[in-house]
Formats: sequence, structure tokens, C-alpha cells
Amino acid sequence: MKVVIVNGGHEADFIVKMFKQKKNNDIIVINSDKAYCDYISANLQMPVYFGVATKKYVLEETNVRDADVFIALSNSDADNYVACILAKKEFNVKKSICTVTNPKNVELFKKLGIDSVICSTYYLAETIQNESSLENVIKLLSLENEQIVLYEVLISEKYAIANKTIAEIHFPENANISCILRYPHVIIPNGATVLRPKDKLVIVSAPSNQNDVVNFIQR
Amino acid sequence: MKPMKRTKIIVIGASRLGANIARMFSERGEDVLMIDKSPEAFNKLSDGFSGYTICGDATEMSFLEANGIATAKKVIIATEDDNINILLAHASFYVYDVPRIYLRLSDCDKGKLIENTSIRAIYPFLLSINEFQFLDKE
Repeated sequence: MKVVIVNGGHEADFIVKMFKQKKNNDIIVINSDKAYCDYISANLQMPVYFGVATKKYVLEETNVRDADVFIALSNSDADNYVACILAKKEFNVKKSICTVTNPKNVELFKKLGIDSVICSTYYLAETIQNESSLENVIKLLSLENEQIVLYEVLISEKYAIANKTIAEIHFPENANISCILRYPHVIIPNGATVLRPKDKLVIVSAPSNQNDVVNFIQR
Repeated sequence: MKPMKRTKIIVIGASRLGANIARMFSERGEDVLMIDKSPEAFNKLSDGFSGYTICGDATEMSFLEANGIATAKKVIIATEDDNINILLAHASFYVYDVPRIYLRLSDCDKGKLIENTSIRAIYPFLLSINEFQFLDKE
């Protein structure tokens, strides 16, 4: 896989290492910070191109044409946008991914043609909200543009379903208990599995069914 | 949604180019709004300018919406940053359907990014070269 990684500080370092672990990856690193280029090339023993990735000649010289993935990690949303669009339009890059600092740019950039837009501020806010939640339901993840949600429900001894088997409780059909976290074990449940207090159920369903499922569990 | 009447001209970036274009339209009696992120930038506007100025971040789409991007008939984008200019031009074209969009680009290679759109670019570099060739013929 041909991967291009543009700008970014520590996260770039980490991502480059991650892609380097797989043997067949052809990794191209471009950074506009000279000190960082020296650091990466010394640290990871690989060439790093010093230049500005929103310039066409830079993308030409670094030979990013037909890359499978193009990742832009700079602090400027506009720079990331232009680098990705240039890579897609002029260099036939298959998939473009960029980070943004402004959460509102996620929708806008997708609309304008970037394949994947990631906002760390948004994830940070969501994680903090989850971590500070006092309720027993935590949303873990949404997939395929929020058509599927994954959430975690903590079983209390007060719930009607506590200490019963899954077969007994007639769990709603439009949701699935994909696993149970019973510290320190992870259990893949079947009908005979007993739901114990302090178990964390990891549930998959459509967002529209989430409330019904949670209400069912918390009866 | 019923179609809105587009009357406004928005100039983003009170660079010398932006400020003078704003004044030119204002003198013609057009409804002009000049946007820049720094309040001092508006000092460049001469007495001939009688339009509105507002200080804010034009890369914030909610700010542009609040200032009527969806009802603009023309948008002139002349900030100092090519990449911001491209982003704003694309948003004006693909999201807000602004009929006429002009932007300034220092890097001529970026002109490729507005091919097959109605966005038009002003390249100070090309204009200078052309002028030089013209002068050199004299």
C-alpha cells in the first residue's frame, strides 16, 4: 500500500511507525518543518521530504501519484483541505484523509470531496462527555454515518434482568449483546450466559432502537 | 425553500486588492460587505467606501452564513493565504451556489483546482509578467 503522510507532529511520528510495521507499505513523508524532518529521518531511518504539500511541484517531486491513502495532519484546516483536494484531483490519490481543528469543517470538507475528515476536538469532547457521565449507559461508537451505534450498559442488581440467563429475558430482537465485560474477562454470550450485576453489556443496534433497548435493560 | 434575491457583494480579505475592489463597487452604489479578521485592515478603505465592514473569521461557515453568503450575487476572495482562498471559493461555489466568484491566487498551479467551475482567478504574478512583456516591447 502506498501511503503519504503530510505534516503533523507527534501524531505523524506515531502514524508513520504504525504503517512501517507492515512490510509492504511504501511510505512517503512530507513535512514543512525542517527540524521535524531531521528528527523523523534520524529516528525512523527513512527519507523525509522537506516541503509544503499544498504546492503541486512538491507532490510531483515526492511521487505521490496513485497513492492509496493520503493523510494531511497540519494545524491549518485550509492547508489540509487544499493538500487533499490537490492530491485527489491532480495525482489520482485513491483515499484522502485529513484532520481539522474546527468540528464544523467535518461536514463541509466531506461535502467538498475529502473522503474522511477527523476532528480531534470532537472526539476529545465526546470522550470527556462519556468519561464524565454518571449514567450507566455510554455510547462507544457510531458506524456508517451513524446508522449503527455501539453502546455500553452497566448492569445494576436492581434491574429485573440481573442474575437471569439471556434465554430467559427475551432480549429485544432488533439489538444484539455482542459481548460482556466482566472484569477481567470478556465473554461472548449465548443463551445460557447469566447476566450478573456489574457486568458491562456491549450492545449493537440502530440508533432508533437504542432507547427501547436501554429501557428494557433498566426495568 | 423559496429563491432569495441576490443583491449583495461580499469581499473577503481587506488586502490592498480586496479593499480597492470593495471601494470600486461601493462607489457604483452596490451593497458591499467587507470582511477581514483584523480590524486594522479596514484602515485601507478610503473615504469612497460607504459599505459595511465586519471583523471575523471567514473560514467559519456559520459566520459567512450569518453575513448573507447565501444571498450574495458576487464574492471576491482576496486574503493573503491561497489555501484559505481556495477553500472559501469552493464553499461559495459548491455549498452556497454564489453565481460569481473571484479569488486571488499567488500560486498559478492552484488554478487547476477551480477548473470546470464558474470560479475565476486573478493571478498577480501573471499580470506582472504580461505587463513586463508589454513594457519590454515599447
